[in-house]
Formats: sequence, C-alpha cells, structure tokens
Amino acid sequence: MKILHSLYGLIVLILFSLLLTGSLAVAAEETVCIQCHGGLDGHLGEPVAQWRTSVHAANGISCHDCHGGDPTDFEMAMSPERGFIGVPEYAGVPDFCGRCHVGVKEDYLASAHGQALEVGGPNCVTCHENHAIQLASIDLINENTCSMCHDYERAARVKNEISSTEASLTKLEASVAALHRVGIDTQRLKEELFASRNAFRRLFHTVNIEKIKSQTAQFDQDLSETKATISDYENRLGQRKLIGGVFVALLVLGGIVALLIRRTYQNKE
Amino acid sequence: MNLAKEAMDWLDRRLGVSDLIHSNMGGYLLPRNINIWYTLGAVLMAMFGLQFLTGIVLLVYYVPHTEKAFASVTMIMNEVPYGWLLRYLHVVGSNLIMVFLLLHLLSVLFMGSYKRPRELTWLSGFGLLNLGFAFCLTGYLLPWSQLSFWATTVATDAAGAIPVVGDYLVAFLRGGPSVGEATLGRFFALHVMGLPMAFLGLVGFHLFCVRRIGISSPPFGEDYQPTALTQHFHHEEHPGGVPFHPNYTIKDLSMVFFALAALVAITFYAPWLFIPLDALDPADPFTTPEHIKPEWYFLWAYQTLKIFPSELLGLASQGAAMGFLAILPFLDRSPERRPGKRPIFVALYLLGILLFVGLSIWGHYS
Repeated sequence: MKILHSLYGLIVLILFSLLLTGSLAVAAEETVCIQCHGGLDGHLGEPVAQWRTSVHAANGISCHDCHGGDPTDFEMAMSPERGFIGVPEYAGVPDFCGRCHVGVKEDYLASAHGQALEVGGPNCVTCHENHAIQLASIDLINENTCSMCHDYERAARVKNEISSTEASLTKLEASVAALHRVGIDTQRLKEELFASRNAFRRLFHTVNIEKIKSQTAQFDQDLSETKATISDYENRLGQRKLIGGVFVALLVLGGIVALLIRRTYQNKE
Repeated sequence: MNLAKEAMDWLDRRLGVSDLIHSNMGGYLLPRNINIWYTLGAVLMAMFGLQFLTGIVLLVYYVPHTEKAFASVTMIMNEVPYGWLLRYLHVVGSNLIMVFLLLHLLSVLFMGSYKRPRELTWLSGFGLLNLGFAFCLTGYLLPWSQLSFWATTVATDAAGAIPVVGDYLVAFLRGGPSVGEATLGRFFALHVMGLPMAFLGLVGFHLFCVRRIGISSPPFGEDYQPTALTQHFHHEEHPGGVPFHPNYTIKDLSMVFFALAALVAITFYAPWLFIPLDALDPADPFTTPEHIKPEWYFLWAYQTLKIFPSELLGLASQGAAMGFLAILPFLDRSPERRPGKRPIFVALYLLGILLFVGLSIWGHYS
C-alpha cells in the first residue's frame, strides 16, 4: 500500500511538474545580427531597437530577410559569399523592398513618384520609414510628409478618393478577426481581404487620381460580396445567442421548479 | 398487467431490486440539516457525464495526427452539424468541472468531512481532483494549436528539473526529444482511454465509500455533536433524517439545472473566456508565441515555479503542498469538525485560499 501511495505521489508530482505551466515564453532564438548590433551604440545599434517595434518583427521578418548574409555565423554574417547585401543605394530601395512587395513596386515605379526616383523623388522609406516600419495605414498620407516634396492638394484628393474603401477594408478586417475569435473558419475570408487589400494598395501607389476613381468602384463591389458573407456569419451567431438564451432560461426555470418542489417536501418533513 | 411492472416484478423476484432501490433511495436517510454544498457531488457527476457524451461524439470526427488534428477541430467547429456546440460544451465543461471540484474540496475541508473514518473517501476524491487536472492537461494538446504545442513543450520540459530521472522522464512523456506525433498519440490515448478508465474506477470507489460509511452530518447547529470514534467499522445512520429520494435528489436536480444553465450561458455567450488567442492558430514548432500562460487552474503552480530560484525547489514545494493535502486526514486526527472550534485550521484554510487566488492573479499578470 505504501508503495502504491509513493507511486501515486510520484505521478502527482510528475503531472504537476507538467502542469507547471506553460509560460516561460521560450525566447525566440536571436540571430547573430541582433546579438552583435543590439549591443552597439549609435547608427549601428539603433536599427535593432527600431526593428523590434516594427510590423516586420511582429511577422518574423528579421535582418537577414532584407539584408541577406548568414544569421547563424558571426564571422560570415556580412559576407557577400553568403548573400549579404548591406544597405541599398537611395535609388535601389524600391528594388530592395520590391523583392517581397512585388505588386506595389510595379505600380510605384510606373507612378509619378517612381518616375522621379532618379532625380530625388520619394522612395519607399520616405513615407514608410525603414527599420521602424509600421502596418501601413491611410494616415501615412498626411500634410507633413507629402509637403516635404510638393503641395498637399493632390495627395489630399487621393486620400479622399480611397478613404471610404480603406475604411470598409479596415472594418471588414475587424469583423473577420471577431469571427475568428469565436471559432469561425475565416481562412478564405482572410485571403480574400488580403488580396483586396494588396490590390488596393497597388492601386493608390499609382497616385493616378483618374485610375483610382475608376477602379475604386470595382473594389467596393468586390467588398460588398465579402461583407454579405460576413453578415451571414454574424446573423447565424446572433441566432445562436437567441437559442442559447432560451436554453438558459429553460434550465434556470427547471432549477427553480425543482427548488419549489423541494420546498413542498420540506413542509411535510 | 402493465409490461413495465411485470418486468420489474420479474427482476425483483430474482435480484430483490425493490429492496435495493428502497434501501438506497427512499429508505436511505440523510441528516436533516444537510446543506447545498452536498449537491456538488451530483453536479460533478452530471458535468462529467456530459464530458463523456460530448467527448465520444468529438471522437468520431477528431483525428489524432499532427498533420490533421487542427484541421479536424476546425472542421468540427465549422462543418459538423452542431460541432461548435459539442466542442464548446466540452471545453467550457472542463473548466467548470475544475471550479466545482475545487468548491467540493473546499467545502469538505471546511466541514471537516475528510476526517476519520472517511480517509479513503478523501483520498479517492483527491485522486479524482488530480485526474481532473490530468484530463485537462492531456486534452489541452489535442487541438494541436500553437497554445497546445508550446504549453505542452514548456510543461513537459519542467519535468526535466527532477534530479537523476528528469531527462528520461521528459523523453518518456514526449515519446522523443521534442513534442511531436508520439506525444500527441500518448496524450490522446491517455485522454480518451487511460484516464476515463481510471476515473470510472476511482469514482466508483469514492461513491462506495460515501455510501458504505454513511454521509457525514454538517457540523453546524446546536444539536451537532462530534461522532465518537470506534475501533470497529461503523456506518453512520441518521435516524429521523430526510429520505435521499425524492427529498434530496430534487435538490440535487435543481443544482444540476443551475450548473447546466451556467455552462450553456458561457458556451453560447462567452466561450472565448477559456480559449486564448494562441489556441486559434495551428501549431508551428518554428514560431514561438510571445506569451504562453497556463489555464487559470494551473496559474498558481506556474507562479510558484517563478518565485523559487530553482525549478526543482518550485516543483518540490508544489509536491509538498499536494502531498500535505493528500495525507491531511492522517495528520488532523481530532474528531472535532465544527469550524468555530477549529480556529487554527480555519485561519490556515483562509490563508490557503488567499494564497491560491493571490498566486493565480500574480501568475496571470506576471
């Protein structure tokens, strides 16, 4: 019996050691780039702190994904043999970012902004910054930034044309996130919205007001289908809650009736 | 003659069923001052019963394979008719079971019902509480989400702190050097077969002890007197008490209704209470989520591990606390059960609850 109890005790200890929870968030393995530059001062160290706040960091895009090199080897980390690119020239920035953001690069290069690149026109980081890059939003189009190069009036018109569709996209993304939170499989909806978002971003990187005007209506049409699907899900969730409410009320009523019956027995006791 | 009555008479002539029913239902008398806390056993039986039912249906669709588990759970939630309801009832039900198990433990402690001659009832009940923890732990991995994968990775890793056998234990629990297909297979087998069988055996023994020794009187009221201890087996009778059926079963039923109402309300209105965000993404062994916290009932243990300078000390302190609780009836041998006459115990009891709640809140925000 003692052996059984000891065994039981060991099992409990083992189980509890397991339970002993999951936190201790396992620290993400840091690349040699971060280990080295993270300890440096000035312009060699600042990018690490800036990158940590970025949308790239949040999505697991690290130094070597843009700058190349070997993130596992201190000595060869910055070797061209291992694909190290380093810092691009000003005019090379669109190609640098465009390795991933292919569509946006294409429309940007065809735009007035892209055409002016060789003569000092804006490149990607002019509006988006580099290492501290944040999730893009319509607020990137603002008087302070645009007025650095030209009058804000045209940019304001672009912003005005896209603001309604942009707001719809943002609202739909929030609705999809809410559906995902309650267990709805939103993979297809997310992909649709992601594709729409990318295509829409491509469109306004053309900074061509006529083109934006003519194509925004098509975007709104496509989004209305997504919106209908989302509304359908939301209605079903609403119905679930209604049915759930009825069940809860019935169960509470059952409990009260049982208690009242119990009271009749108590009177007889 | 009525067919049902005829069948009953037939059974009665052979097995004495009427007598058995009478002695365990209408003729089984309970203390007159029996209170609401005694209904927790019935509530737990109903909740566990629902877990078995929903679990069996989920088993039809769930695929215990690392490549397919998450997709099968997604399918249950989105394609199987009422699959979302079954899964949420199962998830929310497991959390409510832990609430009711802890309340049952606290009420038994407060009323001193664990004391001699009910040591075996206590031990089997304590075993059931730990089985509840084990059910939750093994069930946690099955959806193969980011939370499942990383929480199990960290939890199994903690076993490595045990001297000498730690590394072997980690490998044994995982079925390999890291959490993977073998781990999922083990946890699945335990969750759907090993633990339920152990549970049925232990709950049977627990109920047998309750019935065989007799239900304890609540230690309240002027008439209450501690039961004199005897050297021989003694079944505690309650002459002049209230019949178990229907007088008390109807109270059990009312509490079961209220517990189910709570379960259904959370299931329909706030199932996300028990489903963290990381549980919504499929497991990715190459991407570690920023924060992995255990379920609320393990937060106290989680925080204890963080307080101590070494993981082994943390584990040992938890083992000591659980061990102390397990053998409490053998340490606390006084027959006195009235809380008012046990000030030191009540003070420790309240401190224990505060410690549990405090550590849990600390663990949540740490």
